[in-house]
Amino acid sequence: MASHRIEESALSDFGHIPYAVPHMIHPPTTFTNQEGSAFDFGELEEAIVLQAVNETKQPLYAGRPAATLEMFPSWPMRFHHTIRGSSKSGEESTDSGSAVHTLSSRGEGSRLEPESPVGRKTDSSSDHRVIDQMHHLQLPQQIDMASGSDSPRTGMSQAQPVAKPTSEKRRGAGSNSERLLDAKTLRRLAQNREAAKKSRIRKKVYVQQLESSRIRLSQLEQDLQRARSQGFFVGGGGGAGGNISSGAAIFDMEYTRWLDDDHRHMSEIRTALQAHLSDGDLRVILDGYIAHYDEIFRLKGDAAKSDVFHLITGMWTTPAERCFLWMGGFRPSELIKMLTAQLDPLTEQQLMGIYSLQRSTEQAEEALSQGLEQLQQSLTDTLASGSVNDSMHHMAVALGKLTNLEGFVRQADNLRQQTLHQLHRVLTVRQTARCFLVIGEYYGRLRALSSLWASRPREILIGDDISCQTTTDLQMVQSSQNHFSNF
Amino acid sequence: MHYQTESWNSHKPTKSSSSSVITDPLAHIERLASDNAVVIFSMSTCCMCHAIKRLFCGMGVNPTVYELDEDPISGKEIEKALILLMGVSSVPVVFIGGKLVGAMDTVLASHINGTLVPLLKQAGALWL
Repeated sequence: MASHRIEESALSDFGHIPYAVPHMIHPPTTFTNQEGSAFDFGELEEAIVLQAVNETKQPLYAGRPAATLEMFPSWPMRFHHTIRGSSKSGEESTDSGSAVHTLSSRGEGSRLEPESPVGRKTDSSSDHRVIDQMHHLQLPQQIDMASGSDSPRTGMSQAQPVAKPTSEKRRGAGSNSERLLDAKTLRRLAQNREAAKKSRIRKKVYVQQLESSRIRLSQLEQDLQRARSQGFFVGGGGGAGGNISSGAAIFDMEYTRWLDDDHRHMSEIRTALQAHLSDGDLRVILDGYIAHYDEIFRLKGDAAKSDVFHLITGMWTTPAERCFLWMGGFRPSELIKMLTAQLDPLTEQQLMGIYSLQRSTEQAEEALSQGLEQLQQSLTDTLASGSVNDSMHHMAVALGKLTNLEGFVRQADNLRQQTLHQLHRVLTVRQTARCFLVIGEYYGRLRALSSLWASRPREILIGDDISCQTTTDLQMVQSSQNHFSNF
Repeated sequence: MHYQTESWNSHKPTKSSSSSVITDPLAHIERLASDNAVVIFSMSTCCMCHAIKRLFCGMGVNPTVYELDEDPISGKEIEKALILLMGVSSVPVVFIGGKLVGAMDTVLASHINGTLVPLLKQAGALWL
């Protein structure tokens, strides 16, 4: 009974200040979390008061940690089995409902018997009955303590000497105490009851919300599973909303998977470099990475057949990558330029090789760009010219011209693929490995830059938002640290 | 870059059948290709052909270009033969030194891996 143990450990601190507990009741949430069913603090309050009655029978410091537990009949179920009239004297009962024990032993239990724990929770009239009982209990001093003493210890020290001698007196008619019991205690008990009721209702609403969210989540997961198996990418991943074609959606999904594979390959290369593997082993890893790139070019080729606009407009990449896109991907000559700065120790032959590679990529890029320009010019001419009568014909011609786009994207990807292969040929194995790491890191950072840019704070937010912005900035910087960790 | 137009007829075989202008288009193509160092079969409306022409001009090469759509006589035949030869698309097709290099993808690949320039030099199309 974990909850019971929690209760014990939590309450053992209060062992010697039973009357301090009423002050600790608010907020009630701490206790409600410990128990599945709602906790009625009205009952707690009453039980504390009743426990005070109990204390008169025994010394407060009788070394009964269980006494504290008895004051916390927080588990109303305990009320059930406590009404058996068992005697309390010397009995180390860890039953928190033993406060009721005492009541029953006094014969007061008869009034508690008919009340089920559930009934107690929901029926406020039962509370009144308990209060009625307390009326009869005549607890002058204890009630004084309970009714708002700021120094529970002093209250207790007062109660202590009082407890014993007043065991007989407490039944005496203390009209003063009766009135005190009525006014303050009653009000406080009523307030506690109200608070307990409110917290119960709040908890019920929260649980209901959780349940409905859980159902909704499982439904969404099912939908996602189904959609993925059908090859569609559900959700706002591409940012295109519902206007994404199936070919584009499939490619986006495959590209996401490819990115994950890329991370894996990168870490593999990184560890291989740090472990100083032999060239042969490293070459195997690098061949795997080249094949990984060949894979994405093949996928892009398939995607170009179904949705060339998706590729050429770069909707499959992040915004920052898209900004510097060339013909549906990276510009090979730019990549070479970026790499030459990173690969310093190059032999003469390697330098020549890299330089000629840069030149040939530039020439090829220029040729393809000019070809694409001519396509655009031709398309413009087709669309601009023609009368209304010929519109259908011109549209057909324009459609025919658009089909050439696929060819250009494919040639551009071919150029990229050849560039990577040539790099692998010109450089040594270790240099190639470092080179691939640099490329992977670069694009990782570019992607990170994209998300940082997207979540940067805007100037229009002022006032309270500023502090939130700074924390967001810090979080963003920290989250992007891992991108910069290796170089 | 120079475009061949009328001189094609000089290569027509003496025996001409009624159906086709050229009995053996492939041989015809071979003959045309071996006449110059760099021969490109192209079409004036094709943008990829434009790109390949730009590539060679950018390298300082002066290719011989045959615009098939501007040849009313044998253009279609050659185009069909090129499709047979290449399998997929007809133009652009490049011959260097009389030997078939291929379409745009092979030309680009050979340029990147550094084999195009030596080939051009060997054929006498580049002097550097």
